[in-house]
Amino acid sequence: MAKISAPKNNREFIEACVKSGDAVRIKQEVDWDNEAGAIVRRVCELGEAAPFMENIKDYPGFSYFGAPLSTYRRMAISLGMDPASTLPQIGAEYLKRTNSEPIEPIVIDRRDAPCKENVLLGADADLTKLPVPLVHDGDGGRYVGTWHAVITKHPVRGDVNWGMYRQMMWDGRTMSGAVFPFSDLGKALSEYYLPRGEGCPFATAIGLSPLAAMAACAPSPIPEPELCGMLSGEAVRLVKCETNDLEVPADAEIIIEGMILPDYKVEEGPFGEYTGYRTSPRDFRVTFRVDAITYRNNATMTISNMGVPQDEGQLLRSFSLGLELEKLLKSQGIPVTGVYMHPRSTHHMMIVGVKPTYAGIAMQIAQLAFGSKLGPWFHMVMVVDDQTDIFNWDEVYHAFCTRCNPERGIHVFKNTTGTALYPHATPHDRKYSIGSQVLFDCLWPVDWDKTNDVPTLVSFKKVYPQDIQDKVTNSWTDYGFKPVK
Amino acid sequence: MNQWEVFVMDLAELPEGTELELSVRTLNPGLKKYTYQRVKAELSNSLDKFPDRLQVRFGRGQLCNQQFSIRIIEQVQRMPAKYL
Repeated sequence: MAKISAPKNNREFIEACVKSGDAVRIKQEVDWDNEAGAIVRRVCELGEAAPFMENIKDYPGFSYFGAPLSTYRRMAISLGMDPASTLPQIGAEYLKRTNSEPIEPIVIDRRDAPCKENVLLGADADLTKLPVPLVHDGDGGRYVGTWHAVITKHPVRGDVNWGMYRQMMWDGRTMSGAVFPFSDLGKALSEYYLPRGEGCPFATAIGLSPLAAMAACAPSPIPEPELCGMLSGEAVRLVKCETNDLEVPADAEIIIEGMILPDYKVEEGPFGEYTGYRTSPRDFRVTFRVDAITYRNNATMTISNMGVPQDEGQLLRSFSLGLELEKLLKSQGIPVTGVYMHPRSTHHMMIVGVKPTYAGIAMQIAQLAFGSKLGPWFHMVMVVDDQTDIFNWDEVYHAFCTRCNPERGIHVFKNTTGTALYPHATPHDRKYSIGSQVLFDCLWPVDWDKTNDVPTLVSFKKVYPQDIQDKVTNSWTDYGFKPVK
Repeated sequence: MNQWEVFVMDLAELPEGTELELSVRTLNPGLKKYTYQRVKAELSNSLDKFPDRLQVRFGRGQLCNQQFSIRIIEQVQRMPAKYL
């Protein structure tokens, strides 16, 4: 594989984004109380350059980097690619790298770890010393973790998990967070720690390299430290925590260490979510007690502001969910031609292109998709044929509206796994993560006669002979039309 | 005067004239703004009755028009001592 030249840490990423015009430096003072969040939200809604806010009110020496991966351009930069790369090119690169050999992380001496430049222990480990922002007005609290990784290790299997579980500051030493029961951490808590009444060591890493964040966000079966290495083409540098045996990315800006409490909970939420709503109820949730904070000099806190499209929650989850499903379906021998989630679906609709070579193929795809580890994160699967461009919503929408038979093409799956964040779910279903899902089968039935029963698509490219298409295309401006971009 | 805020699903959770246990967060300016405490408190619809002010939000963050005055009777520590 060719040498990958991706930013190795958050600072290199910011510099690369500034250089390409995909980030702006904001020198004037920005208030952590709503103003920074409002800037990031507006950036997301306008598709603007990421804000690097270098002067935070009350917190000299700290900075914010908002909306780090809310555009495909910044995603391309994070992978060391040309910012102008197309989505299919970025997806192909992701698949190539994540199908390569795993790259084990390396553990370095703490003296070489930038995240150890400042160490606060015990009572000094006070979260209010960090510029924790109030991201949205009306949120239940200041959110420490919006673009980060909560690092844990399964006590029996030894699996390391980096997961992006949101974390709210309750007080200076306590955070509460949303951890769904079907998530890796949720399962470890319910299977092991809670029945035994044991605390679960955790570390929260903030200001990760963008590819570490991408790995934490990806629903891949590959352990995140190795996945990050595969994405970046080199081993991730880890360093041991101060107060537990976990290992954390040495180049992260801020590390928070502590224990998930097995027998005590405080309230969490509400919070502006990736669906574009505040949906999940305020509730007593998983509670994190802080034992240590370490951070780099002039640390930069990353902020994701979730809301209406599009932010990195939607963009990156859509990207990685789609590609991980593509890998899963191909591993089962299904002739998929591509899988795509439009970020504006808030990663709720999976669009699958397939060669419809046998009966029931759409149902097989839906059963695999909904039955997989990925399934709780989306509730719609739309299957179109290989002649439909899955990246072109106009084509997909046309296929859906014309080929999906209301009686035969729509299949509802009841009593599945959902999340508390689904706006359409009942309050009861949200509370217990009960889901329902639907397949939209937009394929022509294989038992229809292809000559006489399957309608013919009427479009410029499908109806006219190639010589006529060429003549019209080449004469377009001569006819008096503007050039087609 | 201290400013506090509480989240409720319904204003019926905030009866007057009785001692309540609530999770309130401070709205006072400074580094501790929005941090929580568990407290025993008494409320009143009359803004002049008690020294501090309580603002109310509903479950999805909506600001309630009605404000209360509040007297914090004492802080309550519910977290087990072994974690403190």
